[in-house]
Order: sequence, then structure tokens, then C-alpha cells
Amino acid sequence: MLRNVFLKTLRDSKKSILYYSIGSVALGLYVTLFYPTIRDATGFADFLEQLPEAMQAIIGDAETYTTAEGFLNAEVFTFMGPMVFGIFAIIAGMGAIAGEEESHTLDQLLANPISRTSVLLQKAGALLVGLLMLSVGLLIGLIGGSKLAGFDLTITGTIQAILSLYMLGVTLGLIALAVGASTGRKGLAGGIAVAVGVIGFLLDTFLSVVDALDPARFISVFYYFNNSDVIINGINAVHFLTLVGIAAAATAIAVWKFDRRDLSN
Amino acid sequence: MTAAISTASLTKFYGEHRGVVDVDLEINEGEVFGLLGPNGAGKTTCIRIFLDFIRPTSGTATVLGFDSRSDSVEIRKKVGYLPGDFVTYEKLTARELLEYFANLRGGNLDKARPLAERFELDLSRKIGELSRGNRQKVGLVQAFMSDPELLILDEPTTGLDPLLQQEFHRLVLEEAKDGKTLFISSHVLSEVEIICDRVGIIREGSMVTVEEISALRERALTRVEIEFADIVAPADFENLEGVTDVTVNDHTLSCQVTGSVDSLIKSAAKHTVIRIESAQFGLEEVFLAYYSNDQEKGDSDAA
Repeated sequence: MLRNVFLKTLRDSKKSILYYSIGSVALGLYVTLFYPTIRDATGFADFLEQLPEAMQAIIGDAETYTTAEGFLNAEVFTFMGPMVFGIFAIIAGMGAIAGEEESHTLDQLLANPISRTSVLLQKAGALLVGLLMLSVGLLIGLIGGSKLAGFDLTITGTIQAILSLYMLGVTLGLIALAVGASTGRKGLAGGIAVAVGVIGFLLDTFLSVVDALDPARFISVFYYFNNSDVIINGINAVHFLTLVGIAAAATAIAVWKFDRRDLSN
Repeated sequence: MTAAISTASLTKFYGEHRGVVDVDLEINEGEVFGLLGPNGAGKTTCIRIFLDFIRPTSGTATVLGFDSRSDSVEIRKKVGYLPGDFVTYEKLTARELLEYFANLRGGNLDKARPLAERFELDLSRKIGELSRGNRQKVGLVQAFMSDPELLILDEPTTGLDPLLQQEFHRLVLEEAKDGKTLFISSHVLSEVEIICDRVGIIREGSMVTVEEISALRERALTRVEIEFADIVAPADFENLEGVTDVTVNDHTLSCQVTGSVDSLIKSAAKHTVIRIESAQFGLEEVFLAYYSNDQEKGDSDAA
């Protein structure tokens, strides 16, 4: 695990990857095992229907909430999933370059014959692999839980929704990495990435019912993540590729800025 | 012979702050070069430019024939680096760290093991648990283990006890014998005097002088005091070669002479000399003289 920067980064984060993956399995299990209770509860959809639009935006859509996919869409792919994936990704991203710089280990790493770009890309690669582990965990939890609870879950829809969630995590993580690599400041990197996530979430949920703010949802990463309700409708290629584009742009900026600045001592 | 390190008008500003200004330096292959200067003079700035951690504001640095900006990876393949305060991954054991760095260099630990033994370094302990001195030993081993052509050492003996410093000096001299080039920064003259062939003195970001240690010794200062029978004018002595710091107090002249006292003696002989006293100063004072020039300048700036 000490062969290169990529493996060393995974080695450093193996505990974190393990715990977050277990958390993802647990989230999947918890939600799927809970689902039959909601499905069988009479009048729950009626209750949701009486809620204001803004509350439905966050709790779940009244029409689909009692279907398995609708329930998971509301419970996993609106708030909890993005939170778990987002926190993991942002912590990993802000630590990648800025973390090493602030703990003064970056100089000595870069005294070895390895380019800054390579260090950055290998660390980004480790972030992608870590998030992949979380995704597998969530998939196991959801599919396993649905089997245990005895209901059918669309596998392709679930995989597509997890893929979209994965891409949201990648995007937030690489934004944190990019800010950290550009500035060397870990706190700033985390702060900006969290702001992108939280503001994105608000714009796509509560604030989306404010007409004046409605156009602003297009700048929300959450809009591209799951506004099209991926687990029900399948992945929206344009939305997915938009996230890919943001992530790629963040990486390009990170490489460009990191290669051109002075490292702090 | 190509230069191991060569800089041309190397200048670095950190925003408004001065790092180094117009440094021209030429270090030969196989040479042990000492960069001397007080803290904040710009030693670390030079070194961090050589390793491409920071980029020059203007001017260039060439290391082992490669440009510090465009060919940094090539440079770092052949350079071992040790800073004064070696900081690295605390959670790794010393062995794991050396293994990691050896892997990044495409090497192995063949040379690291005997070095660790020589410096009595326990490789099984975590870096975070090591004392400062032991941590510095890990740094030393990683700098030397890849058998680099050029060693860049930034105040390397800070934190080492005197015995280890001696062992370190021996190691440096062995490497030098092997034909390695060493670039060592220090603010301790005695250290540089022991291990270096040539020394550059840097203050306030500018290279004040670059000289062989032996030449520097020749330039040692003599403090001279002459008592005359008559009153003498300072002007008779002020413009003599090598004579500085002339003060005349009634019958007594005191001054500082660099190198030969010949011209001073000949001028003094025109008068009746009653008494002459002189005192030699060592390299330390030469070095301090460069520093104190700086002090005086600073004082007059302030005034």
C-alpha cells in the first residue's frame, strides 16, 4: 500500500472508507426494512398531500411516496444519501492537497521525483475509489434490505440512482480538492464545498417553490443530481454529464492552479 | 565541468516581502558549498526554488543542468533534500516512510539500512512518537538513501546533539569524497568551516560574498591601535588599502585592517610611533563583520 501516492492515500483513508461504507449499507438496510411499514400504513399519502409544497419537496412527493422507488427516492436520494456521500467526499477532497500542506508534509512528498499534477490526480483517483466503495455498500444495503423485507426493487433504477449519487459525491469532493489545491487552505476548501452542497440542496428543495428563485435551481448541483428522480425515471444523461463536466472542470482548475503556485512552508 | 547549481539574477518576492534579490551563484560539481546567513536572510528561499516548491519572481535557477521550473522532476530524481525541521507522515513508522519514499524514487532500502544503523535509528517506531533528533535522523536517512548526485541540506543539524552532528559531518565528508555535490545552508560558521570548500554569505536577500574558506581566512581582520608622539589627522589613514573604521583620538589611531597591514605601517612610519598594538580576529569575526555591516545599515536606515 506504499507503492505510490494513490495507494498511500487509500491506505490513509481505509478506516474512513470502511466506516462510511458500513454506514451506507446500514442506510440502505434501514430504509428498505422500514418501507413496508409506510406502504401498509393507510392514509399516509393523504397526509403528505396536505403538506405544503415545500415540505413535500423535502419529505417526499405524495403521489409516489408509498411506492418502493418513490420512498427510496425521498428517503435515500434526497437528503440522507447526499449527506453521507457528500461529507465523506468533502473531507477527503479538502484533505488531499491542502491537508498535506497544512500539516507540512507536502514539501517532503514533493522532494521526491513526482510531479504536482501526478500527486493531485492520484489523490483524486483515491477519492473516486473511496466513493465507489460507499456506492457498493449502499447498493448491497438497498438490494439486501428489499429482499429481507420481501419487496421488489428495480435493480437498474437503483444502480442508476446510486451512480448519480456517486457523481454528486465526486463533484463535491473534487470541488473541495480544487479549492484546497488552488489555495492550500483546508478550511476554505471544506467551507466552499459544503456551501455548494447546502445551497444546492436548498435551491432544489425548499427554495424551488419560491417562483423568483426557480431559475436559480439550474446552478444547483442537486438539480443535476436527482431533480429528474433517477430511481423512478432512469438517469438523465444531460444532467449526469453536467455533473461530470463540473467535476472535470474542477479537476482541470485544480491541476492548473496547483502547478502554478508557491507551496506554503 | 558543468555547474551543479547555477542561478542568474534569481529574485523572489513574497508579495511585498523580500525573499532573495538578484542572486548569481555558481556551484561546481563535487563541491561542498555552504550558504551562510542569519535567519530570514533568504537561505531557505533559495533552496525551495531549487526544488521547485516556490517559483522565482524573476531570474532562473539551473540544477544539474535542468531548469528548476520546467524539469523539476528530473532534478528531484538526482537530489536528496533535508530541511532543518524534518516533518512527515506521523502515522507511518520510520521503515514505512523510507519504503514509501524509496518506492516513489523507484529504489530500495539497501542503503537506508546501514545508514539507520550508523545513526542508531529504530526503524520500527512511528514518526509521531520520535523525538526531534530521531525524527531528524529519519530525514537524514531518506535524503542520503537514494545515493543522490546532489544533496541539498537546509540547516541539517538543527536538533541533533553534538555527537550526532559530528557523525553527520563525517557522513558529509565521505559523500564529498565520493564526488557528490553538497549544498548546505547554515547560520553556524563553525559547522560550515569544518565541512565546506566554499561559502556564500547572504544577508537581507543578497549574496554579499562567495569565497573559498581559505581565502576568507586570509581576509581575517586585524584590529590595530597606534599611539603617536604628535597629533595625527584621520585623513592620512582613511584611504589606505584594506583599512577601515578609522578613528583618531588625540594621539591615538585605531582602525581595522583586512589582509596585509603593509600600507598602514608605511603611512604610520611617517610619524613618530610610540606604541603599536594589534589583535587578530578569526573567521567568526569576518563573518560577523558581514553581519554587522548589515546592522549598521539597518541602524542608519532607522535613524
